[in-house]
Amino acid sequence: MILDTDFADEMKQYSGDTALECFNCGTCAALCPLFHDNFPRRMIRYVQVGAKERILENANELWRCLHCGLCTHTCPREADPGEIILGLKQMVVETRRRS
Amino acid sequence: MFNPTDIIDILANNVKKTRGPFGIPKFITNRWWKTEEIPEKGEYLLFTGLMYQLAPFIETSTRHLERFEDTRWADEIRFARFVPPRLSGTGLAAMTPIFKQKQAQKALKDITRLLKTSGTDFFYRPQLDEYSGILLYDMGDRQGFADHARYVAENLTKAGVKKIITVDPHTTYALKVLYPEYTGETFEVIPYFELLALESKTADLEVTLHDPCFFGRYLEVSDVPRAVLSNLGIRTSNLRNDQVFTSCCGGPAESVSPALSRSIMEERKKELETPGHPIVAMCPVCAGNLKRSGAQVEDLSAVLARHV
Repeated sequence: MILDTDFADEMKQYSGDTALECFNCGTCAALCPLFHDNFPRRMIRYVQVGAKERILENANELWRCLHCGLCTHTCPREADPGEIILGLKQMVVETRRRS
Repeated sequence: MFNPTDIIDILANNVKKTRGPFGIPKFITNRWWKTEEIPEKGEYLLFTGLMYQLAPFIETSTRHLERFEDTRWADEIRFARFVPPRLSGTGLAAMTPIFKQKQAQKALKDITRLLKTSGTDFFYRPQLDEYSGILLYDMGDRQGFADHARYVAENLTKAGVKKIITVDPHTTYALKVLYPEYTGETFEVIPYFELLALESKTADLEVTLHDPCFFGRYLEVSDVPRAVLSNLGIRTSNLRNDQVFTSCCGGPAESVSPALSRSIMEERKKELETPGHPIVAMCPVCAGNLKRSGAQVEDLSAVLARHV
């Protein structure tokens, strides 16, 4: 897997740079009504390490998010997980349209 | 689950060509005002965002999507983008029972009555009332949302509209929070229940109020409908997951995965049924979704109108 070290910067145009605030406590994954495979924590980790390719491979998973905002409301680091997921959806839509 | 890209392309094309997410001509969806006497000028524009009107069509669409999800036919939805939006929209309208379309108008008529009773100076012009585009935003289509939002905002600005009454949480969030950022236009946006001044009457009733995510968590206005109910003597049950900690009804997922949406709403239905009181919703998407799970749900406007 190729890591894109500029990915967190690229995401600033979609959802700001709050992903780097996340310290992976897992509150978002514990409260998310999806109870699905560490969502959204896993996706935020991918943003932090620049695993854009991995996000694009699993992109459809992003649309399971209800954008209910519970994760954002309870995040102890104010990392805004809900908006990061929305930003990833926007990135995927624009990437697919460009290609 | 359907391929989200296919769903987004269909929705975006519908909004671009018809200004609505399903391609249904507006003269079919927006008819509630024809029997109402509402002035064409006033302080606040009543802006429904067509969400209540679209609810029965969402129900029909979701029912059909549910039949094909995760079957070998699911991928065929990609061909839907080649069907002219007005044709597919008219087909969807034809499959939706007229009585359901009429039922959906009731909330708007009740809201009109409540605003009149409260002495609110408001007006309605159907030509200014458009879908807000919020689904495109939620699905991640920034460009499609921005283009549509600019069209809606420009029309409102040209008409000199400054103050807007909204009736559902999705449109309220779009106009209040997203439009200033995406269109540069700022309006004073107020949900209808914030303008209600209803006379006290002892209703002696307890209800369980379901807070939609946008009203409860994003806009934090849950205390207002509770105060309006309380003024009429209607108590609200305490739930663990309510107000800013409300649980989602599952509605936002219904276009890409009706099955996921159903599993979320069944959890919420259990929570709402626990106190054993009538369930009240204040969002047409939440109400429609909870009804799909078999819950008995009434709109806030209906409860208020019955006790005024």
